[in-house]
Amino acid sequence: MILLGPVGVALAVFVAAILLALLIRVSGDVQRHPALAVPERSPFAGGEAPVVHAWNRYHARYYVMALVFLAFDMEMVFMYPWAVVFVREGGIAMVEMGMFITILLLGVLYAWRERVFEWA
Amino acid sequence: MPVFAVAGSGTREQVQDLRLDVHMQLVDTPRAATILLVAGAIPEELAEALARLHDSIPHPRCTVWWPLGAPSGAWLGSFPHHVAIEDQVPGRLTAIQRELLSGQRPSEPPILPDVDAAPWRGVGPFGQGGTGMTGGTPYGRPMAELGPDRDGLRLDVLPLTVGPFFPRFPAGLVLDAKLAGDILVEVAVRDNPFVTNSVRGNDRAGRGPFLRALTEPVSLAELELARARAHLRWVADALAACELAALGLRVLRLATAIMPGDSEPVESLARVLGWTQALGWSTRGVGRIEAAALEGLGAGPVARASGLPDDLRAQDQAYRDLGFEPIVQAEGDAAARWRQRLAEATQSLELAGRAGDRRTIPTGSIESPRGLLEPAGGPAARLLPLIPGLLEGMEWGDAVTTLVSLDLDLEEASAAAGQAHGEAVAS
Repeated sequence: MILLGPVGVALAVFVAAILLALLIRVSGDVQRHPALAVPERSPFAGGEAPVVHAWNRYHARYYVMALVFLAFDMEMVFMYPWAVVFVREGGIAMVEMGMFITILLLGVLYAWRERVFEWA
Repeated sequence: MPVFAVAGSGTREQVQDLRLDVHMQLVDTPRAATILLVAGAIPEELAEALARLHDSIPHPRCTVWWPLGAPSGAWLGSFPHHVAIEDQVPGRLTAIQRELLSGQRPSEPPILPDVDAAPWRGVGPFGQGGTGMTGGTPYGRPMAELGPDRDGLRLDVLPLTVGPFFPRFPAGLVLDAKLAGDILVEVAVRDNPFVTNSVRGNDRAGRGPFLRALTEPVSLAELELARARAHLRWVADALAACELAALGLRVLRLATAIMPGDSEPVESLARVLGWTQALGWSTRGVGRIEAAALEGLGAGPVARASGLPDDLRAQDQAYRDLGFEPIVQAEGDAAARWRQRLAEATQSLELAGRAGDRRTIPTGSIESPRGLLEPAGGPAARLLPLIPGLLEGMEWGDAVTTLVSLDLDLEEASAAAGQAHGEAVAS
């Protein structure tokens, strides 16, 4: 190491990395398997061939659930400063937070009615 | 060894029994298999699907035909290479797998041509890019058509054909479904491939007591034991469909070992399954069938689970002497059908224990474990038309639960016809 000096070490690492990359590439070529035949590649659903591509635009219904979760997540954020002043402010803070949660809860009930929580 | 098994006509139970051997691993997809085991005769209508199944097994692969009484040449048309074995199936399959893996036995070439139904190549030097990705025909295949979603959006409706060798469905059942996401929006059931001339008239010697009871007196004890075993075999399969395969294996072992009058293990099994909430959640309220829809269909346990006391045995004097009364449930959902079959298995074992040497009088029709069986058709043929209406609007998982709970056996009808035909020829 000392003989090579810092530049020599860097060069050695560089050469070794290139050799390793070549080795990996060549071994991959040597081991290459023949391509799968079409029937071997086609998806299995019981023996019949697919007629359309599997790319399928479907409704990701969990995103509305994710939005509802986000709303309640933010509510928790509001609760931290509220908890700090709650003892000082007393009953009035309790009522205010109650109103806030009630409004959010109405939103949840509305989402429920709109079948947001049905997974499929 | 990993085996993909296809049960042809009259071989359902023998194929199921292979699970009992510790060396056998019956896999759910040909991708995981080394050996394609075909039991019995397969109708010509399914030959192409079978060939496609064969070709999707990775190399090295081997096809093994287990005739089980089917005449030679019943199926071999499109299969130039195969090994026929008669008995000691697990041992022979192990030997074949060892030969395949050590290279002593060559892997089978594909049957279908290596031609892509939708060839596609992009504009780039490596076949990438071009209009294929965004032009509505990705990689040469058209995309699914649009359909209305319940939110008022227009999204893809994916056409999907499931079967005839989908492992959760009875062999031969082909569903042409259209899926919007996870929901089945349109379902059509193809004709029963087993009700064709290509499998009729097979040598059906050694068939079950229910088929024999169509034409000759059979002892009640034998019939009821067979009924209890058939119900337990269904439970074993249905548990495997619920991904409770280990419990299913225990039930299968029970089904093969249970004896008349010995209903205690079945009762405790019913209790355990009743407690199993995972099973309850996936079956309660799923696949509900109204009694009116089942009126006159002779759907056996399915009808009785919906509250119809529909049982041919109630008209038989020998059964009435034993104090037989049909068990019925009220709910008519998949959970009720589970309970119904377990309760009937218990009842059948008790009846079998008390039956003595009573025998049936052949009347040309019999109450089989799946319902009214007669040469003109089995219960599966009468239940198939109900399926599209039942499954539409369901999630895919619920649809599988429902289909499994109906216990269809597409091959039974042709077997009954074959039995009557065989009797006519013999006399």
